[in-house]
Amino acid sequence: MDSFTFDHLDAIAYYALYAPINNAASIRQRIVAAATADGPEGDREREEMNFAFIDASLITSLLHLQTGIHQAILTDSQGALRTKTVHSEILWSLNPTNNITEAIRRYGISDSTKSLLVVHIAPKSQSAEDLKAKLQRIVDGTLVPASTLAGITDWAKVKKYYKLNNDPALTATKTDEEEQHAVIDNIVTSSVAMKSVTG
Amino acid sequence: MAISPTQRLIADSASVLQGAEAKVYKSSLGGVPVLIKHRFNKKYRHPILDGNLTKARVAGEARALIRCLRAGVSVPAIRMVDATEGVLGIEWIEGTSVRRLIPGAEPEDDEGHTSTEEEAMADYGVTIDEAMKLIGTELAKMHLADIIHGDLTTSNMMLRHPGRTGLPPRVYIIDFGLSYTSTLVEDKAVDLYVLERAFASTHPESESMFGSVLKSYEERMGKEWSAVKRRLEDVRMRGRKRSMVG
Ligand SMILES: Nc1ncnc2c1ncn2[C@@H]1O[C@H](COP(=O)(O)OP(=O)(O)OP(=O)(O)O)[C@@H](O)[C@H]1O
Repeated sequence: MDSFTFDHLDAIAYYALYAPINNAASIRQRIVAAATADGPEGDREREEMNFAFIDASLITSLLHLQTGIHQAILTDSQGALRTKTVHSEILWSLNPTNNITEAIRRYGISDSTKSLLVVHIAPKSQSAEDLKAKLQRIVDGTLVPASTLAGITDWAKVKKYYKLNNDPALTATKTDEEEQHAVIDNIVTSSVAMKSVTG
Repeated sequence: MAISPTQRLIADSASVLQGAEAKVYKSSLGGVPVLIKHRFNKKYRHPILDGNLTKARVAGEARALIRCLRAGVSVPAIRMVDATEGVLGIEWIEGTSVRRLIPGAEPEDDEGHTSTEEEAMADYGVTIDEAMKLIGTELAKMHLADIIHGDLTTSNMMLRHPGRTGLPPRVYIIDFGLSYTSTLVEDKAVDLYVLERAFASTHPESESMFGSVLKSYEERMGKEWSAVKRRLEDVRMRGRKRSMVG
């Protein structure tokens, strides 16, 4: 597992990238069921599924992911979460609109998710060992290096969600795909960073 | 009271500049260098009013930056926002202000700068004239998107260092603290006039430099140029009259 650490935060963000995954539908069902399950059983299942499950095809770079995570942790530390947990707050921060259901539908795991980023925010003192064991139980897929993210991004979908198609920054780079991807990543990452003051 | 994460971030950062409204730091987020702009509380303003004002300013600057990014204007990317703390974190640009790269600039009026080493435009891989052309193009893209900077000076433009970054030379427009959106030709003309005055007062014999800025601005503005040109002449005339009277 990889991680993002921030000197000014007590939390660490562990993450792992799977491509492909073979059991998206069953993971999604478990998340839905865990949310409403009662009693100690329910608590145990919520603890087991305590990750942000993110559709990796909508992430444009590791800095994009890091920025969403950082903003979510800041919001949590201020007691100002707009969603139930810091993990769902990451999904909220990644989506351009203020609609929480939409954020989860788009950026969370769906039955058609082929590549998956899982994120877990923990105190810095916590090691990744038990997270790895949990993920082995949850995810049926191939763990790949985070650097392969670049080849996974669905740029057309990102452009659509962020309504970037008519922006001069994109029309100016339409003949250079690599340059355009860098421009999109820059806009999307900046949008995530300023999400709390949008709208 | 325990200090907040953002306060801790600032406490561990190196001060770059102490302004009247904001303090600027160099810091890092997850190993990525960032520039932190902290709008601190004004002791003489009402605390709640001040908090709201600070939030609005941080939000305003962030919005101007994202508008510029979408318009393809070269500005630093946004890295973090904590409006409650009055903090905006943006991409760290490895380089220096255009003001310092033009030889013979008048001494800085803002004493806050910590570094004073002489650097030459040539180290940045461009001639002064080329740098002026880059500036003109960025300003035109900005105005075509109806973004008014509000405080154009050669201090508010940076050149990225190609040698230190391995990237091509590039001009960045910075400090959107006074910016706003407007479709009015008048506002665009005044924006340019403010820069023209800044050139004249900080860079002796700068007419040809500002001329180069305008030339590339004109090229990029296309059919929008003639209206701005006419208005700029009006604005200059008003400026001259005012200085004769006053
Ligand atoms: N993105 C950046 N990367 C590196 N250095 C920067 C960046 N942005 C600004 N600087 C440096 O910090 C200085 C202050 O930045 P800026 O002008 O945005 O702050 P300010 O407080 O509004 O300044 P002022 O008081 O001059 O209006 C700039 O002159 C420049 O030298």
